[in-house]
Amino acid sequence: MFTLLFLSGGTGSRMLNAVPKQYMLLAGKPVVMHILERVDQLPEIAEVVMVCAKEYEPAIALMLNQYGVRTPVRFAPAGSTRQESVRNGLAMVATDNVIVHEAARPFVKVEDFQRLMEANEPNAMLGEAIPFSVLVGHEYVEGALERSSLVNVQLPQKFQTQLLREVHEKAMADGATFTEDAAMLHKYHPEVPIKICPGMPYNLKLTTRIDMLVGEQIYDEVFRKRK
Amino acid sequence: MATCIITGVGSGIGKATAIMLSHRGYYDHYALIGRNAADMAATAAAMSCNIPAAAIHTYNLDLSAPEGIPEVVASIVATTGSIDALLNIAGYTDPQPLLTTSLESFELTYRVNVYAPFMLMRECVKYMKTSGGKILNVASTAGMTPRPGWLSYASSKAALISISETLTAELSEYGIMVYCVSPGRCATKLRRRLAPDEDPSTIMQPEEVAEVICNLINPAEKCLDGQNIVIRKMINR
Ligand SMILES: NC(=O)c1ccc[n+]([C@@H]2O[C@H](COP(=O)([O-])OP(=O)(O)OC[C@H]3O[C@@H](n4cnc5c(N)ncnc54)[C@H](OP(=O)(O)O)[C@@H]3O)[C@@H](O)[C@H]2O)c1
Repeated sequence: MFTLLFLSGGTGSRMLNAVPKQYMLLAGKPVVMHILERVDQLPEIAEVVMVCAKEYEPAIALMLNQYGVRTPVRFAPAGSTRQESVRNGLAMVATDNVIVHEAARPFVKVEDFQRLMEANEPNAMLGEAIPFSVLVGHEYVEGALERSSLVNVQLPQKFQTQLLREVHEKAMADGATFTEDAAMLHKYHPEVPIKICPGMPYNLKLTTRIDMLVGEQIYDEVFRKRK
Repeated sequence: MATCIITGVGSGIGKATAIMLSHRGYYDHYALIGRNAADMAATAAAMSCNIPAAAIHTYNLDLSAPEGIPEVVASIVATTGSIDALLNIAGYTDPQPLLTTSLESFELTYRVNVYAPFMLMRECVKYMKTSGGKILNVASTAGMTPRPGWLSYASSKAALISISETLTAELSEYGIMVYCVSPGRCATKLRRRLAPDEDPSTIMQPEEVAEVICNLINPAEKCLDGQNIVIRKMINR
C-alpha cells in the first residue's frame, strides 16, 4: 500500500494571481481535484497526506466532500521550502512506501500512477529525454552538457518511506537543499537504484499563466473522452 | 447491477418511457421518482408485466422541493448499489406573459424544470463518476425559439439545453454522456395546459417520444450525446 504525499503548498506568486494556481479552475475543475479524483480510483493508495497552507484546509475539505472523494485525506503544514514541506508530510506517512506528487502537475493518468507503483524497484520516478539542446552559462557560454545523458525529472516519484525520511534528516543536518527528492536520495545513497520510468509528454507543470492556456488544450486532447 | 432513475413517470412521456424501458432490459433496477404515489404505482404495475416487481423502486418526492434530492439519491444507491442512468423527464408549466407572471410561479417552474434536474445530476454524478453512465434531459422546442406568453417555461427549457451542453464537456472525463431532447408538441397533460383547444389525436404521442429516449439511453448508443435533439413528428393535415 502507498500514501500519496501531495504537495499543494505553493502560493502561486509566478501567476501574479491572488489564488494559487493549484486552486484555479482548469477545464472547469480546481487544479488540485484533477489528481485527487484520479487517485481516488486507485485502491493501492490508502491515504493522501496533503501538504498545504493552513488557510486552505477548510476549502479543500469542502471540495473533497463535493467531489465525493473517498480516499482518506489528512493535512500536513506547508513548510517555507519545498523540502521542508516534504519533510512535514513524511512525518505523517503511515505506509512503507510513499508517492510524492505536486498539485501543479494535474496531467497524470490513473495508468501512469499504476505504472510507477508497479515498477520493479521500490524507488522510482518518471523521467523524459530532453528534446532541446542545453548549454552551461549565464552571460557567455561556458560549456556544453551532453543532452543524451540528462533526464527531465517529472513527478510523481515513489520511495521507501523510511529511506526518504532518513535522507531528509541528513539533508537538514547538513543544511543541504535539493529541488526534488530523487536527487537527494541519490546524493546520500548512490548505491540505491532509482528506476526511471518513461515520463509523459503531457505531464506539464503549471507554472506560468500561459501554462494554464496550454493546460486547457492538454486536458482536451488527453483527458476529455468525447471527441 | 445497473440502475436507471426516472422522474415524471406518473403520466405522459415519463410513463411511456418507463414502460417501454421495462421491455428493453438495459438496466436491472428502475428508481421512479414522483409526487403522486397512485400514478407511480400504476406505472410500476405496468412495468412489472415485463420485469420483476423487486427491480422497481418508487420514491415519493415533490420536485419543487429539490432540497430532498440528496437523501433520495443516497437511498437509491443504498438499495441498488449503483446509478448508471438518470432521465430528467418531469416538467411543469404555468404559461403566462411577462406582466402576469408572479415571482412564485416563475420560481416554481424553475424549481421543477431546472433546480431539480441540476440537483439530481449533481448528486448522481458523485456516484456515476467512477463508472460512467448516461444522463438524459427532456427540454423543449419552446427553449429554442421565442414563445410569447410562456416566459417561465420557455426560459427554463433554454436553461436546461445550456446545462446539458456544458455538462457534456464537464463530465466527459468520467465517461458520462449527457443527452438533451427537445420534443415538439406531444399529447400529454402538460401540453393541454399550453394548448387547451388542440385535438391531441392530431399531434405526436408520448410513446413516440419515449421510443427516441429509449434508443438514446441504450448503453450501446455512443454518438448522439452533447446536442439538442429535436423530436418532431410529421402530422397528417
Ligand atoms: N407535451 C409536450 O408537448 C412537451 C413538449 C416538449 C417538452 N415536454 C416536456 O416533456 C416532459 C414530460 O412532460 P409531459 O409532456 O409528459 O407532461 P405530463 O404528462 O404532464 O408529465 C409531467 C410529469 O412531471 C411531473 N411533475 C410535475 N411537477 C412535479 C413536481 N413538482 N414534483 C414531481 N413531479 C412533477 C408530473 O407529475 P404530476 O402528475 O404529479 O404532476 C408528471 O409526471 C416535461 O419536461 C415537459 O416539459 C413536453
